[in-house]
Amino acid sequence: MIDLDLGAPLDVHRAEVLPEWIDWNGHMNVGFYVVAFDKATDTLCQQFACGYEYTRDKIGMTFVLEAHVTYDREVKEGDPLRITTQILDHDTKRIHYIHMMYHAIEGYLAATNELMLMNIDYATRRSAPWPAFAMERIEKLAAAHAALPRPAQAGRLIGLKKK
Amino acid sequence: MLQTLPYELPELVTRAPLDTHRSTVLPEWVDWNGHMNVAFYVTAFDQASGAFMRNMGLGRRYVDGKLGMTFVLETHVTYDRELREGAPMRFATQLLARDAKKVHLFHEMFHAEQGYLAATNETIVMNIGYATRRSAPWPVPVAERLEAIWETHKALPKPAKAGRVMGLSRKS
Repeated sequence: MIDLDLGAPLDVHRAEVLPEWIDWNGHMNVGFYVVAFDKATDTLCQQFACGYEYTRDKIGMTFVLEAHVTYDREVKEGDPLRITTQILDHDTKRIHYIHMMYHAIEGYLAATNELMLMNIDYATRRSAPWPAFAMERIEKLAAAHAALPRPAQAGRLIGLKKK
Repeated sequence: MLQTLPYELPELVTRAPLDTHRSTVLPEWVDWNGHMNVAFYVTAFDQASGAFMRNMGLGRRYVDGKLGMTFVLETHVTYDRELREGAPMRFATQLLARDAKKVHLFHEMFHAEQGYLAATNETIVMNIGYATRRSAPWPVPVAERLEAIWETHKALPKPAKAGRVMGLSRKS
């Protein structure tokens, strides 16, 4: 298990916009923002030992139940990305959290991704409580993140403003 | 505002919901859990948005002709059931609202053979001026088509999964 990082928000994930993530508009395609965010989810899950090895070793899986993305500014091929992660809430089976994606050099917010992630039993493919080793770490992470202000992008409702 | 478009528009489909888009889960969309990865649901839905845009007259030629683009501003996905490699999908797309520059769409993704709902996607798409890369009103022929589509879609009931705010219920 890796050392637990109780920095708030979690600020360890870095990435780069790959050529195959670019669409005919010349910027990162909407789907690949979510690819990038999903890799940041892997980074979060590694904190509580529910990353790739958790599934490879047939212990369990994590499934996303729901996702909300705000596309705030374009990023182009080769741009460096910094993704931070804040736990908003959790229970015995789920974590509710939000990723913020920044251009790592220019510093602007490129996108946000709010997610609901659920622990899944490997054999039944159904929801199951977090293993004790994971729950202990999730509690510590959530406690470290509890003092953070709630981002404005969390809990958004989609719609067109009526003028 | 563009008054015309320099290409022939496809035949307008006003059926509500729009049900023309079909797709298949590609091998590269499958992750280590053995099912379609969360991100590629968004890719698949984005292609369904593309089908809606083509019906409005905004396909590849709109971008290649340097006339304009469409950008997604915000998107919300519910993941309702897994899909495996090769699974056939069909989509139903409902126009929930529109204004001079944006559409508010709601997609449902179904397993095309087994019929179950796999996911939903609520999304806002905005028209963009090619040169400015900033928001711009729909071209006139597109706005006309949008009104014709709205006439048939406005009577549809609002989907139960539209307008969701994420959070943990306090039951479990």
